[in-house]
Amino acid sequence: MAKGTHHVIIGIGIAGNRAAEILRERDPDCRITMITMSRLPFYNRYDLPKVFRGVRDWREILVDPPAHYDKSHITLRRDSRVTNVDGQRGTLTFAHNEEIGFDRVVVCTGGSGYLPEDLTDYRHLMNGFATFESAMTVYELLPEGGRVVMLGGDMIGLDLARTLLETGYRVTLVVNDYTFWPHRVAADQRGKYLEALERLGIEVHAGAKLESVKEGPKGMPARCLVFEDGSEVFGDVVMPFCGLVPSVEFMLSSGVDIERGLLVNPQLRTTNERIWAAGDVCQIWSAEENAYRFYYGWNNVRAMGEVAARNMTGEDEPFVSIGDEELYLDKGGHIASPFWQHD
Amino acid sequence: MDSTDLQIIICGSAGDGTIAAGDILKRAMARAGYKVIAFDLYPAEIRGFGKCVARVRVTTEQVYSLKRRSDVLVSLDDSHAIEHVGEVRDFGAVIFENAPIARLGEGRHMSAHVKPGQIPYGLAQREVCERATSSSRSRNIVVLGFLAQMYGLPVAAFHEIIADKFKTKAAVVGESNIRAFDAGFEAAGAYFKLDDVTLGPPSHVAEGADTVMMTGNGAVVQGCLDAGIGTFFGYPITPATTIMERLAVEMPKAGARLLQTEDEISAIAATIGAGYAGSRAATATSGPGLALMVEMLGLGVMAEVPCVIFVSQRGGPSTGMPTKTEQSDLNLAVFGGAGDAQRIVLAPTNVEGCYRCAGKAFELAEKFQTPVVILLDLYLSNRYETVVFSKDNIFEPNCSKGVKTQDPGQAYQRFQLTDDFVSPRAVPGEAGGMHTVTGLEHNELGRPSDSAEMHTRMSAKRHRKLEGALAHPDLNICKRFGDEGPVDVGILAWGSTFGESLEAMMAAQAEGIRCSAMKVVMLSPLPVDPIAGFLADCKEVLVPELNYEGQLANLVSGQLGRPLSRLNRVTGAPMQVEEILEQVRALAKGRAAA
Ligand SMILES: Cc1cc2nc3c(=O)[nH]c(=O)nc-3n(C[C@H](O)[C@H](O)[C@H](O)COP(=O)(O)OP(=O)(O)OC[C@H]3O[C@@H](n4cnc5c(N)ncnc54)[C@H](O)[C@@H]3O)c2cc1C
Repeated sequence: MAKGTHHVIIGIGIAGNRAAEILRERDPDCRITMITMSRLPFYNRYDLPKVFRGVRDWREILVDPPAHYDKSHITLRRDSRVTNVDGQRGTLTFAHNEEIGFDRVVVCTGGSGYLPEDLTDYRHLMNGFATFESAMTVYELLPEGGRVVMLGGDMIGLDLARTLLETGYRVTLVVNDYTFWPHRVAADQRGKYLEALERLGIEVHAGAKLESVKEGPKGMPARCLVFEDGSEVFGDVVMPFCGLVPSVEFMLSSGVDIERGLLVNPQLRTTNERIWAAGDVCQIWSAEENAYRFYYGWNNVRAMGEVAARNMTGEDEPFVSIGDEELYLDKGGHIASPFWQHD
Repeated sequence: MDSTDLQIIICGSAGDGTIAAGDILKRAMARAGYKVIAFDLYPAEIRGFGKCVARVRVTTEQVYSLKRRSDVLVSLDDSHAIEHVGEVRDFGAVIFENAPIARLGEGRHMSAHVKPGQIPYGLAQREVCERATSSSRSRNIVVLGFLAQMYGLPVAAFHEIIADKFKTKAAVVGESNIRAFDAGFEAAGAYFKLDDVTLGPPSHVAEGADTVMMTGNGAVVQGCLDAGIGTFFGYPITPATTIMERLAVEMPKAGARLLQTEDEISAIAATIGAGYAGSRAATATSGPGLALMVEMLGLGVMAEVPCVIFVSQRGGPSTGMPTKTEQSDLNLAVFGGAGDAQRIVLAPTNVEGCYRCAGKAFELAEKFQTPVVILLDLYLSNRYETVVFSKDNIFEPNCSKGVKTQDPGQAYQRFQLTDDFVSPRAVPGEAGGMHTVTGLEHNELGRPSDSAEMHTRMSAKRHRKLEGALAHPDLNICKRFGDEGPVDVGILAWGSTFGESLEAMMAAQAEGIRCSAMKVVMLSPLPVDPIAGFLADCKEVLVPELNYEGQLANLVSGQLGRPLSRLNRVTGAPMQVEEILEQVRALAKGRAAA
């Protein structure tokens, strides 16, 4: 086991992984433990739609080969959920009842798909798309040329929709407040973006409020959505894409300030000096806006991982948001977003 | 891809049901038509302490050893299983408890040790079990259900074997274990399979043959029974004890007798007595027991009494390492005792060989009127293999060279010097067969004699009569495998190490090295001619053995005068295929360079 400071990174997404790289670079002797609930090492979630393009072996979307962790002297703990972080004692506890100590911890737990209250009753009839496993499940459920009904349609969902259409599947979009999340699109602008989606081949279902989701009758697609105006939409798979909620439950008794995400100063430190946060999980103080706010997208999340790690190892630098955050139509009239850009 | 080669390790603490789970797994897979090799490690300690490991290799093609790398590790107790996690190959699976009751200190949970290339499957074994059966006792069966769902193992076979296993207990025990299995099966339905472990359909079993799964010791027992064993005397010692335990159950059913004596000396003495009286008689022991027996064994040689001694080797010398395997009693078995006490020594190389050698030992003992030692080792005694037995009994019921009707005027010569050096043998009570028997050197009548000529002739008789054993029917005293004709490297091996040697040979051939392997089953008398032929074909010869000096290598080079390369390990564990392969590669490379 490497000697020196023990840095723990909870979450091995883009933020956590970047933090690990920087920590190792800046402190070659430190001990690094990375923790994830996933059974897989870090893979590129932006690549998940590729399962519809024939990438069905998770090894093809790994960012680093498994040997990378040993080479970098990183202890990778998978299938491990953190249930509590004690910033005073410098310990954290796992769901499997193990306690480990740390000198500094950076929380990079991202967010999980948000399910609006009125949809929670139908959870068992819907499929998520946050992990390789869930992506494969959707792939296996969809018959050739099958239809996916997307509820909401955030930018994660719309990215998937593009792939589905290109690979011979059909997509119906049920528009709600979360369509285009995390972009905030003014009411008078929505029409042009929805039209752009229609041009792509997405069937847009806007207006009528969803009343229920149920199993489709025999001989019909597996799911049926009923709307208040009596109309019905059938699909083989129903997927909610309504933005993310930060994964912070395990931090509730850690003593740090939490609003929706973990509240951090521009240096990405929480209200406990041993605990830092980066990525989709944190709300960063913006002096300009005089408020805590989220920043999304690959580039921002990666930069946060870097800044947190640098500051954990002695720097005192603020996070500066990278890139544009607006949704737009490109020259060809196709919907485009900085959210979709990544390395 | 239809061919299957799946190795699963189950590891837990004594009392967790590790060995029982391994047993059900291997039996179910064998029942479903797969080939199985399995080996358990268990501690000498009492319940609640010590590590237990069950390793089960399931294949469709015939294999000869366990693999160094397993595909799946199941932990029933992380404190023991953690040290085995490195045995799992990349993209294999590690299954462990993810809801332990006790608070664990840092690093005490399997998740801290699973390698980045392996797939962790945390399973709430205890909770799943409690929900299904109101107790956590059958966690070991829950994990079998989990494995069955994940890898498509044959559920019906598991149900049958579980029912069978608990059939002597109250019906609820069997039922509750089936529920535990089903609960594990169902729990696995919520897991997405991320490893690349696969199971193809089972292999075809030939008609007219019985496939059974047994250990080396189990096969010895079956061989004894099929050969018509009449009497057994023994004193318990690991790893031979199970031979006596099983015979104690089976022999009375066949009208045969077994007695546990007060020590090994009594056991061999009684065995020789029974053999002398005409019964097919045997004893079983380990190295320390054989050390006590060798004096009496000399009597058996001198008095030309048929008897069979099964010796399962373990780590030595002295009490040594009772639960670890070794091949260090070859010298004792072949040479142990006073004087020129030539005897027959056979060392089977696999479970089927244990059966054959056990039965043939009685034929040889009877035919050549001598003690026959069968050398096993812990790894062979305890490992399970699927074996296909012919439905016909392959053993001769009587091989004794009987006494022809005597000329009333002529005294019966028990030790008559004949052309084949084997004398007609009378058993006590046989009309006209009265004679003297002694441990002293004797003349043809059996009366003591220390004449130079008689000692010379009798010594020659006792040695030369055994030459016939080299041609005993239906017994492979040695056999060559692999490439014919001249080869770069030959592997000469004996006992349990031959399985690994054969796999190493096949791997070497696959790498383009011209390679052969020869197993030597008859260690005494040594089949010098075929071994010499083999050595003549090999540019280099490697002798892998689980002993420090190379006892077979010494034996062979002593008789044939050819220097041999040695690979010796005394780790208490079986030889690894990779270790042998590495040496073969080095020898082949050295040759190429030369
Ligand atoms: C299919 C898909 C496509 C996407 N496409 C885009 C895109 O095109 N553009 C874009 O900008 N963003 C996209 N995103 C969102 C993007 O993935 C996130 O913004 C980014 O991954 C956030 O990174 P992160 O490091 O903050 O956390 P995440 O990548 O969400 O990683 C969270 C990590 O925390 C771990 N974790 C959570 N809770 C615990 C706990 N209690 N204990 C232990 N570990 C825990 C998880 O196991 C995981 O390892 C997409 C997301 C998905 C799912």
